[in-house]
Amino acid sequence: MRSIDQIICLWVTPICAVLIVLAFIFFPGFMPPMSPTMSETEVAEFFRENVSAIRWSMVTFNLFDVMFLSMFVVAGVQMKRMATPSPALAYAFIGSTASVVTLFTVADLMWLVAAFRPERSPEITVLLNDMAWIFFVTPVGLFASMCGFLATAIFLDARPDPVLPRWVAWLNIGAALLTLPSVLSVVVLSGPFAWDGVFSFWLRWIVFAAYVTLMFFALRNAIKRQDAAEEAIA
Amino acid sequence: MTAQAAALTTEVTSVPDRYREATIRDQVWLFWCIPGFFAVFGLVFVVLARVMPPPAPGKSSAEIIEFFQAHGFTIQIGFVILIIVTGLFNILNGLMTVHLKRTTHGKTFAYAFLFAQTVGVTPGLLLPGVAMLAGALRPERSPELLVTLYDMTFLTFVGSLGCFVTAYIPLIAAILLDKNKIFPRWFAYVSIWNLVTEFVAVPVFFFRDGAFAWDGAISFWVDTAVFVVWQNAILIQLFRTINRQPPGMAYPD
Amino acid sequence: MSLSAASESHVEEFWADKEDVPGEKAMWLFVLGDFLIFSAYFVIYLVQRAWDKQGFLDAQQHLDINLGIINTIVLITGSWFVAWAALAAREGNAAKALSLVRLTMLSGFIFAALKVFEWSKEIKAGYTFTSNDFFGFYYVLTGIHLIHLVFGLAVLQIVVARLKKGVADHRLVETGATYWHMVDLLWVLILAFLYMLR
Repeated sequence: MRSIDQIICLWVTPICAVLIVLAFIFFPGFMPPMSPTMSETEVAEFFRENVSAIRWSMVTFNLFDVMFLSMFVVAGVQMKRMATPSPALAYAFIGSTASVVTLFTVADLMWLVAAFRPERSPEITVLLNDMAWIFFVTPVGLFASMCGFLATAIFLDARPDPVLPRWVAWLNIGAALLTLPSVLSVVVLSGPFAWDGVFSFWLRWIVFAAYVTLMFFALRNAIKRQDAAEEAIA
Repeated sequence: MTAQAAALTTEVTSVPDRYREATIRDQVWLFWCIPGFFAVFGLVFVVLARVMPPPAPGKSSAEIIEFFQAHGFTIQIGFVILIIVTGLFNILNGLMTVHLKRTTHGKTFAYAFLFAQTVGVTPGLLLPGVAMLAGALRPERSPELLVTLYDMTFLTFVGSLGCFVTAYIPLIAAILLDKNKIFPRWFAYVSIWNLVTEFVAVPVFFFRDGAFAWDGAISFWVDTAVFVVWQNAILIQLFRTINRQPPGMAYPD
Repeated sequence: MSLSAASESHVEEFWADKEDVPGEKAMWLFVLGDFLIFSAYFVIYLVQRAWDKQGFLDAQQHLDINLGIINTIVLITGSWFVAWAALAAREGNAAKALSLVRLTMLSGFIFAALKVFEWSKEIKAGYTFTSNDFFGFYYVLTGIHLIHLVFGLAVLQIVVARLKKGVADHRLVETGATYWHMVDLLWVLILAFLYMLR
């Protein structure tokens, strides 16, 4: 148990993932996703009718969204072990993770503000809902930069036994490329790129879920190998 | 015990005070900025912007408009000052990261703490300031919009929970798993109260009056009292930890 | 430690693990502080209750006192096991202490399951978090208590991990027991104030 700190931070992620997935299933706006073409009255009515489900699911997301990404702090620590010329990429990676999760939190708070007074004029509720969706779906550049830093570090890792295997680098590049198209959700209201569309909602979140799952196993292996290697030296 | 851990706990007996002070000079200077930051923070929130103690969520639109009109100027002075000094919040994070990394299993926990606290500044400090300033900039805005900005201010200020929950857990874990005695265990326990109070703030999203509203006896007053106790504990303890640092110590990577 | 001996000696002295209380001294600080915080919650509850006594009494009728009492019995049994475990650890019997601490954890899980059942029953009956002030207090106080209980289970899990290695560290078991007794006592107070007070 040399790396108990990494193991704790790693396992926090699946626990939070379960809670967040439950919250998202109960959030009435995700199954199926709310359409950007809903009229003002429809959106206002949606918030009035589902007020307690929205509050409960978003409070859960509020409590656990930052913790959910603690696994990527472990990824940063593993990146520092790589034989890259400097640890700069590791720090850049952790910084990008912090930015990603900041926007999740802001999106969550916008939904909660909208649900705080559902009797608000529909125009404002629609604005808050739009801001929440845009913060939630659009900032893919930050996620892509995370993936880019990690992939670069893996390719630069000169160790004979790489900290993370090459397929993780390709996984990161793939995840970045597949989620990037959802940036278009800020400019269109319907079609596959709208925030409820095939690319911006379904593909994006399925890719994200698969990415987190595979990264979990890759990091778990990396920690195991680190422990074994340090055990051998000691 | 690894060589690194041994270096951290080595007792050095014959070092002149002058040399010892020189090795921690930067940390001591930075440290004294923190009480200064919190003094400004208190001045802005309590005296100038009048958001602490917070006004009631149950106010009518007319009262909210009046709030922005009556305090508009002081809100602007206060939050402009706050925006200038917000970054100093990260001094505490920087110093804590240095010393959390000195604990036995501190590396990952230190980064997790730094990561979560950094996230917390934006939704928990800057967003309420910006929302309030947007309200004060045009108090003649439609009442509905002012009410929305008012809600946004207080829900983000009192309700940014996850970032701080995430910061306290690695802090507590690092101290409880530590064998280098960098921080005393009571400080971890005190942090647990602070962690629980984040959960006690959940009801602010549900209630507009009573003990659980954002100005309520439980969700605001008890939580704030616990936070003040914790804030004092962390400052006192950090100061001691800095001063107990062995001279010539190598900082862990 | 000689460098900062002057500034630290009184602190070290104060927090030194002298054997004048069972378990770790810092844990007692935590317990006392926690009681202080809960006292604040109870005082606020009583004040609000005094403002709307009839409303609180009417709402209180919908709580299931039997479930409350079963919960109490479950927790007190757990406390008894953990106290017994502390005795066993003092005698150096790690195996006995281990099984007793595990029984305490089982009581904790039963308590949590009963609590979730009780909440779902109240919610199905239409008494939700925002129904009235009384139910606000009910869900918040029982919820905070449940968070304490979950922490307690984590603490006991650390104790179990240690005992599994065959180390009968009585200070650690006592520290866990202190925490668990606090969870128990807080529950008794909640039972008295929320379920029973007329």
